[in-house]
Amino acid sequence: MMAAMLSRVSAIAAKEFAHIRRDPRTLIAVLIVPIMQLMLFSYAISFDVKAVPTVVLDQDGTSASRAYLQTYRSSDFFAIKGSINDLASVDEAFRNHLAQVAVVVPPGFGRSLAKGEKAQVFVIVDGTEPNAAQLGQAYTVALNQLYDNKVLVKWADRQGFDTTQLGRIEPRIRTWYNPERKSADFLIPGLMVVIIMIVTVQQTAVTLVRERDLGTEEQMMVSPLRLPELMFAKLLPWTLLAFVDMVVIALVGLYYFHVPLRGSVMFLSVSAGFFVFASLGLGLIISAIAPSMESANIIAIMVAFLPAFLLSGFAFPLESIPPVLQGVSYLFPARYMIVISRGVFLKGAGFNELWPQLALLGGYSLLVIALASVLYGRRAAR
Amino acid sequence: MTHSAHHPLPFISEPTATDSAISVRGLTKRFGEFTAVSGIDFDVARGEIFGFLGPNGSGKTTTMRMLTGTIAPQSGSIRILGEDVVASPEKVKRRIGYMSQKFSLFEDLTVDENLRFYAGVYDLPADEFVKQRAYVLEMAGLVGREKELTANLSVGWKQRLALGAATIHEPELLFLDEPTSGVDPVARRHFWDLLYDLAGQGVTLFVTTHYMEEATQCGRLAFMYAGRIIAEGSPREIREQHLLDIGDRDDSGRLRTASIEDVFVRLVTREREEAGR
Repeated sequence: MMAAMLSRVSAIAAKEFAHIRRDPRTLIAVLIVPIMQLMLFSYAISFDVKAVPTVVLDQDGTSASRAYLQTYRSSDFFAIKGSINDLASVDEAFRNHLAQVAVVVPPGFGRSLAKGEKAQVFVIVDGTEPNAAQLGQAYTVALNQLYDNKVLVKWADRQGFDTTQLGRIEPRIRTWYNPERKSADFLIPGLMVVIIMIVTVQQTAVTLVRERDLGTEEQMMVSPLRLPELMFAKLLPWTLLAFVDMVVIALVGLYYFHVPLRGSVMFLSVSAGFFVFASLGLGLIISAIAPSMESANIIAIMVAFLPAFLLSGFAFPLESIPPVLQGVSYLFPARYMIVISRGVFLKGAGFNELWPQLALLGGYSLLVIALASVLYGRRAAR
Repeated sequence: MTHSAHHPLPFISEPTATDSAISVRGLTKRFGEFTAVSGIDFDVARGEIFGFLGPNGSGKTTTMRMLTGTIAPQSGSIRILGEDVVASPEKVKRRIGYMSQKFSLFEDLTVDENLRFYAGVYDLPADEFVKQRAYVLEMAGLVGREKELTANLSVGWKQRLALGAATIHEPELLFLDEPTSGVDPVARRHFWDLLYDLAGQGVTLFVTTHYMEEATQCGRLAFMYAGRIIAEGSPREIREQHLLDIGDRDDSGRLRTASIEDVFVRLVTREREEAGR
């Protein structure tokens, strides 16, 4: 019995590898493209903001204010695009994309400093560029701390061009675990998850639909092969490839981008196993419901690609997306895995801190595989 | 002993399940409101070439899928090679084969890889595979082309390779679902020669087709229409019986010679008229 099962499963797995060997495009799509994506995202879509275009408005005009603004000029983080003469010009500078940050030194700055009081500075940030804004803000704080503790910064974070939105907050932002805010550190653990999700869901979704189109699914239904064997054997090669991907991305991250790996590799691997399982289950569900290869591809993109990018915490913090979408994000496994991946890589977190995510991921994968089996059973009965 | 064969015991009213390859009683399959197969009965004897005919949508593919255990019927019984397929479809799977009109070959695999795959699915022992592989390559005329990609074979070769793949585990009963559609007449003739060889080795063949001249090659036929079997018998019996039925005589009152196709067209027309009434 066992031997026969083994023979059937290995026949299918061998055939799957033969398909992959025969079609180098698949292999390229699965092994080379992720590396390209990794490079592309890490460089081109770098979230490192340096040389934030900045304008300055010196309403004080003292040597103290000039010295203060000089720190911005000499910093790599800011690129001073010019001086402006009044607050209204800030709007213009933002609208023309001349600047994303405006530093305003109000009258009396030099006098306050001379008296030993806290002096006020306004920093206005263009909120339509959230990443630049956030980082511009952080850099300003850092800069001010370096310059003098006596400078009180007042913030105006501009959403669009609404000038009434002047905040009166004094942020003291410190970035832990990634103090340089090197985006590769932040990106690569997340990107690993996104890439695995795309590769596994897409490939599984298509591989079973193809079998159906060929008529080989029908052929296998007549054979002693059982559905769970077929599903398991079809997923095997993709699971292996997904793990190869993960290891390659991790190695590139560690040795090329110098991303730290502070936590347990074992814990990361176990979690990744659950995650791959969950993603493959999603792919199976797609292949059970998709009427054709084309629709399987499209659904796979909808289910894997978009949520992996937008609803996983990869590109935007989940707290910053609308509550409805936050709810939707729980439907996709990437959000759990990204927390685990970043936790293990950057924080050195392990089971004690991350068990809730692991439990959710485990429950999720069981649910998805069960649902896929039910859908397949129903399809087969037709 | 031979005597009893001519005089079946009186309490056996129908052929028993064990001595026939297929025995179907009251088989019914509904899809929602639509009744695809409506209480059909038939038997196929071992070693027989049984032709299953009918227009598209008549229920023949649905019937075949129930026979192979791919889908379950609503009601009725199916015995295949003595096993109850409705109760335990897995039992008989090792002993039956199936070849579809799509051929079910992997085009991006070689001839050899396709055979190896199906041998693995049927858990063929290594020595058995060597033997069967040699036989299939010989039969399909593919000796020396083992390493060729299936995609590069012409339709006739693919068809024979598909037959080889479907019989690699030496099934006792082979289902063929319109195996010759899209194949040129020469290849089709060649293919039927191979089917006769199989039948000669004692393999029972259950063939669906809508090529009427192919039907005459079968030992026995069943016509399916709108989920029911409307005629059954040897090609000759059907021709004679149903021509009488329809009253197709020439002016001098003699039965007109008609092809199976004529009978089929007339039967279907009659069914349609009755349904319209």
